[in-house]
Amino acid sequence: MKTLRDRYGIVGVGETEYSRGSNRTTRAMAVEAVRKAILDAGLTAADVDGMMSYQNGDSTPANWVAPDLGIRLNFYMDVVGGGSSTEALIGLAMGAIEAGMCSTVAIFRSMNGYSEFRIGGTGVRAAQPVRGLDLAQVPFGMRSAGQNFALTFMRHMYEYGTTSEQVAHVKVAHSKHASQNPKALLKERVTVEDVVGSRWIVKPLHLLDCCLETDNATCLIVTSAERARDCRPRPVYVMGVAGRVNKPRTDFHWAHGPITRVAGHYARDIVFGQAGIGPEDVDVTGSYDAFTFTTMLQLEEYGFCPKGEGGAYVSSGTIELGGKRPNNTAGGHLCEGYTHGMSMVIENVRQLRGTVDDYCPGAADGVHTYDYGPGRCRQVRDAEIAMNLGWAMPPTGSALILRR
Amino acid sequence: MPQPVTYRGMTLVVPDNDSEWKEYFEHARQHRLALRACAACGLLRYPPTHACPWCMALEWTWREVSGRGTIYSYEIVVHAIQPGFKDAAPYPVVLVELDEQRGAPTPDEALRIVANLVRPDFTPEDEKSVAIGKRVRVVFQDLADHLALPQFTLTDEPAAGRVWRLPG
Repeated sequence: MKTLRDRYGIVGVGETEYSRGSNRTTRAMAVEAVRKAILDAGLTAADVDGMMSYQNGDSTPANWVAPDLGIRLNFYMDVVGGGSSTEALIGLAMGAIEAGMCSTVAIFRSMNGYSEFRIGGTGVRAAQPVRGLDLAQVPFGMRSAGQNFALTFMRHMYEYGTTSEQVAHVKVAHSKHASQNPKALLKERVTVEDVVGSRWIVKPLHLLDCCLETDNATCLIVTSAERARDCRPRPVYVMGVAGRVNKPRTDFHWAHGPITRVAGHYARDIVFGQAGIGPEDVDVTGSYDAFTFTTMLQLEEYGFCPKGEGGAYVSSGTIELGGKRPNNTAGGHLCEGYTHGMSMVIENVRQLRGTVDDYCPGAADGVHTYDYGPGRCRQVRDAEIAMNLGWAMPPTGSALILRR
Repeated sequence: MPQPVTYRGMTLVVPDNDSEWKEYFEHARQHRLALRACAACGLLRYPPTHACPWCMALEWTWREVSGRGTIYSYEIVVHAIQPGFKDAAPYPVVLVELDEQRGAPTPDEALRIVANLVRPDFTPEDEKSVAIGKRVRVVFQDLADHLALPQFTLTDEPAAGRVWRLPG
């Protein structure tokens, strides 16, 4: 298998505050996040010559953001997309550098995802006409992400006996992690009873099964391993990447079952094949939590447990800090904030550096207590390999394996 | 060009050049559930796309199907986000697996359609009556001279296999 294992790295990460009202433009937020990532890497504007972003007509393109910071680009690309774009763009950035098109790429996502363009056709998109493929679902009151995905979870419950209580543990774990994250929008720990007792949104999903909507921008910087070794932080290398892998019939994925199967079924051999490792070698995961059950579905599809046993896996304590393989240690989209996936990659980079920005006084220097009580530490001890499982929809996903 | 149709606060648009949906909804307006059948390999497909996903042939014919099937999965929308659905909530959305072409051309494939499960007057079916495995048939909700929505309603046929609904 063709692989660029360990030949590229992520050298800088940055983000803005997570809020429900940024009161500024996506351009302003993107500039802040890109600047922070450049400074985090110990680079200057002159060192960055590539820029990529993803958006859904709700953001500012790279060639408007770069000049604000005095960056002259040799390459830029803004793609349409939401979740699962981060990992895919990291792979494309590696490809652009490998092709000699540029040397260092900043990838950003900037969104007023709460105050302006909300997910699911509410907010400023509510008045859009229904046409084309939307006619297959939207006239039946099926428009939001939760409404689009709930059929998958319901069928999983039918086929495998998965329960609301089992997947509620995903929210419980991520809320525990968020309580150790000063940046997290929701820092309060919740219980299984809190989740299953919260009001229904679309059965089988409760309010607390659903992720947040927030305003924010995120950025990470990709460059060659050679340059990475000259950057300020400890290098984090890309072992493997799979981008926007699809099931058949992605236009209407219900046509090709089992509908409880998600894109990871096809992505896992690509990403693990490049990396030359298996799930048992991964210390930390970032499985996209648009909803509690999306985390569960991907963990089982990538082989962290047998297919169908995801409910038992996520409720076993394994995915919590202090467990064998913690997931979304910053709190994820359920608790930290919603970024269409980039924050989960940023968190894994920090985990591998050993400098997670928790409440430990020496965090910036990599000095942690490993006390996972509320308001304390969220650094995983000696994390060497981290994996991101990016989710767009049940039939589309990406994956990324990083090592220190 | 046909006029856009207003339904539950939405504007449904099926222009003359909508080469996927225009004829599908014209059949529906005649109360026929018609799907595209590949002229080369004969397999039916939904949604109405332009090439056969199994043999890539571009030619098709419209073929009427029975409109009978089984609930393959479902959800109950309690918190409606579309303003026009607020007064309908809680309402069921069902994924119906049609009787034709089940498990073909591979065991995991089938003709599945998203719709609402409705009573004869097109109001939402009571959620306690919705379950995976229950039998349904298509009914047509007329919205305009050129547009009707295929919906599904419960039948009194015995269930197909295990019947299951979300506990509670």
